Amino acid sequence: MDFLLPLFGRFHPLFVHLPIGILFFAVLLIFLSKKKKNNFSQVIPIAFLTGTVFAFLSAISGFFQYQHEGYTWETVRIHLILGWCTVALSAWLYFSFRSKPDVTKIRKIQSGGLLLILILTGHFGGNITHGDDYLFEVLPSGLQTFLGIEIEQSKPLELPTENWEELAFYEGAIQPILNHNCISCHNPKNMKGELDLTSSEGLLGGGEGGKIVNQGNAENSKLFSRLILPKEDEEHMPPKEKRQPRKAEIELIKAWIENGGSMDQTLGDSKVSTSLISQFFAKEKIPFYPKTTLQGISSDTLSKLREKGFFIENIALDNPLLRVSCINFPAFEDKDWELLNSVSEHIAYLDLSDSKASASILDSLGSSSNITVLKVNGLEITGENLFSLKNCQNLKLLYLNSTDVTMESLSLLDGHPTLEKVYVFKTPASSQEKKNFSFELETGDYLLPKLATDTIVY
Amino acid sequence: MNQLERLLNEFLQQKLQNQTRRHFLMDCVSKVGGLAMVPLLFGCEPGTIKKSQGLNLSDRDLNPLAPLPPPFAPKAKSIIYLHMAGAPSQLELFDYKPELVKYDGKACPESLLEGRQFAFIRGVPNILGPQAKFSQHGQSGAWVSDYLPHFSSVVDEVAFLKAVHTDQFNHGPAQLFMQTGSPRLGRPSIGSWVTYGLGTENKNLPGFVVLTSGGKTPDAGKSVWGSGFLPSVYQGVQCRSKGDPVLYLQDPEGMTRDMKKSVIQAINSANEESFKDFGDPEILARINQYEMAYRMQIEVPEVMNINDEPEAIQKLYGTKPGEESFANNCLLARKLVEKGVRFVQLYDWGWDTHGTSKKESIDSGLRQKCQEIDRPITALLLDLKQRGLLEETLVVWGGEFGRTPMQENREGKVQGWKGRDHHGDAFTMWMAGGGIKKGASYGITDDFGFAGLDERVSVHDIHATILHLMGFDHEQFTYDFQGRPFRLTDVEGELIHSILA
Repeated sequence: MDFLLPLFGRFHPLFVHLPIGILFFAVLLIFLSKKKKNNFSQVIPIAFLTGTVFAFLSAISGFFQYQHEGYTWETVRIHLILGWCTVALSAWLYFSFRSKPDVTKIRKIQSGGLLLILILTGHFGGNITHGDDYLFEVLPSGLQTFLGIEIEQSKPLELPTENWEELAFYEGAIQPILNHNCISCHNPKNMKGELDLTSSEGLLGGGEGGKIVNQGNAENSKLFSRLILPKEDEEHMPPKEKRQPRKAEIELIKAWIENGGSMDQTLGDSKVSTSLISQFFAKEKIPFYPKTTLQGISSDTLSKLREKGFFIENIALDNPLLRVSCINFPAFEDKDWELLNSVSEHIAYLDLSDSKASASILDSLGSSSNITVLKVNGLEITGENLFSLKNCQNLKLLYLNSTDVTMESLSLLDGHPTLEKVYVFKTPASSQEKKNFSFELETGDYLLPKLATDTIVY
Repeated sequence: MNQLERLLNEFLQQKLQNQTRRHFLMDCVSKVGGLAMVPLLFGCEPGTIKKSQGLNLSDRDLNPLAPLPPPFAPKAKSIIYLHMAGAPSQLELFDYKPELVKYDGKACPESLLEGRQFAFIRGVPNILGPQAKFSQHGQSGAWVSDYLPHFSSVVDEVAFLKAVHTDQFNHGPAQLFMQTGSPRLGRPSIGSWVTYGLGTENKNLPGFVVLTSGGKTPDAGKSVWGSGFLPSVYQGVQCRSKGDPVLYLQDPEGMTRDMKKSVIQAINSANEESFKDFGDPEILARINQYEMAYRMQIEVPEVMNINDEPEAIQKLYGTKPGEESFANNCLLARKLVEKGVRFVQLYDWGWDTHGTSKKESIDSGLRQKCQEIDRPITALLLDLKQRGLLEETLVVWGGEFGRTPMQENREGKVQGWKGRDHHGDAFTMWMAGGGIKKGASYGITDDFGFAGLDERVSVHDIHATILHLMGFDHEQFTYDFQGRPFRLTDVEGELIHSILA
């Protein structure tokens, strides 16, 4: 029967709401009582009695929960003590009302005290389940600072990929970096070095050593120079045991100071390099294969195609898209493409390398709009059919190794919206002058130099 | 009585003799019992002739190497794992420790030795400074020593893990740990897990091929590519590095392909009979292996022949046709991956540089080993890259542990050569290719290169990451054995996000 106590403990969240409601109601009755009439004298003791009973059940079940669910004493201490205070105080009020049902001023103060303890108990209990910052999290940051709440470190700086030019350099980029890295020690409540970095005023006001921003001169601005000191240096900021800012963040602070350290300049007006900015772009995880609403192909169809010799498999267990390869079907010819008609829309990865297919197979691929990877290594492809690949609107990787394509024919693919990389190792194109295309071109033919050290016997 | 009749009679007699009382009793147990189980297990499922034996066989049991889709879209479809058996010194190759120069020849601080156990170091050893010259390379500024001059030109393709740690400091257990996730025998190797999960793509080739070089197989023996508790059809197929890759691939004179086929069919039908009798799944593995061996005759002679490769490629790798060499194995690895093999495991022996002889010294033997692999691994990365195979092939390089910053003092004596002892607290591995962030470096070690300070990575973390790139969630990828599900990463392992592209 070991489970009974933990089970009882788990009723704690249920019980706790009852004394809160009932005792609140009891205190309300006391404050609503008319001195002379004493109209609630019958109800008040009952309210306190039920309130006490449930407060007691809550406290007991809470204790078991603390015992069995791995809470530390540190976590529950104040909640537990206040809980038992609530039980004691409401019990005492019950007995005193039973013996003498008058509502006096003293009793109003006592019950007011009970209400306060009750609220605090509930608050600290809520903090245990929802976290210390549950209530204050939603307050505006200015109000949080005013209330002296330890400022939760904000998220690292992320810039939008579009219209970042219009963002204010300071407000949109520098302050978020400071919020993320500095203000846990440099805020109005905790001004280490008499420095407050939560606002532009604080930043420009400087700290105990004077100004920290020397507009236009990053090397002489402590805001920057102390970040790049060696970690072991006493003056290095943030202190070495704290999380260190990213290189790009330091670079951006430097750039801001060098650009004049202005408060209202926009990112677009500054001379910050786009490559630095791009390091702050939110990393959107774009899946490699296109998203699709296609229905999956039945396993019957797949096994029939496997019998024909195709390697055919879903790219992932719950993904209807297919990987198809002729690795076990070297005799594949153009006419065999018809076999794949029923699944052509589903093909995301197609490998026809070293098969007997001709260049005109590329013309047939138009209906396979999901092809992302296409391998046609070793086929007799000279060029013009490449134009048909414009129809493959998801094509990202194209393998044309050991084909007869030339730079000129590759220009047919220039401007393909999704094509990322084309492999043309061992083709006429690889020995021709490289052209600039919208996609990356891998021509291969790597050589390793002969080094003297290659042949030394050590 | 003619000859045929005599043979037939002999056969019948033999058959009767084979049926002993034990067989009869066993048949009674398995078949009568099995008969009772049939309706319970299979109800009225049609078309399960084989299943009506009373055995719960899935399609997977009958066709264990058929390809399967991975649970998630993979970043890599094959792996080439380069294991430097004996454990190379990270302090001479990748983990540059200028501070160590100052302490060269001085006694090791006691704080490093307190409560520690080493394989050979006794008492207080001296510190041994880095013996190689280091410089930064590529856009990523990775530190690589002059022991690997070619490799330093491709560091931008690679992600380094500089604070890998293991809890084993002897070769056998450490190699088992690195390859199977447990320092003790009995667990499947990474390659077995992968082929179990994905099958083989090329029906004429096994999914998991092992090649060795350096004159010896790893200390832990063939268990490092064993299948552990998985069916043995998933174990690595070791190909010989010299001479015929697989013995008896050529049919002997007078034996035609058709004859061979009917021989294998006859053997397999005999095996099927005994499978029906005993129901041992290992018999299925044997049937599958005979079939695989027959099919391998088609593809293997071509794939395993590096002589047909153009001269430029031979030069790139620095191959030595006809010899056992790491360079040949690297080229073979590329060819196998190109032909759809899932997992190619290379072992190169000879990295155990204790300083007990010139061959086992840091300044001479290690340098020689580095020279042997420098060009081939660089060539492998470049060759995979130019063919576009690096997009979908994961290359892993590493040993089973690292080496001490202290000079080894076996039996309390200073060795005649500069050497380092086994050390597992911090060592370097690298990965490249499918799904790996190019030019990344993860892991920081202390000034002695003795222990990882930050971004430490365990062997389980590496396994979790490898499985992730192949399309598996290492926590979901399990096999039931002895009453509980087993994982490659057991109950540990965390993805190394920082080196993922």
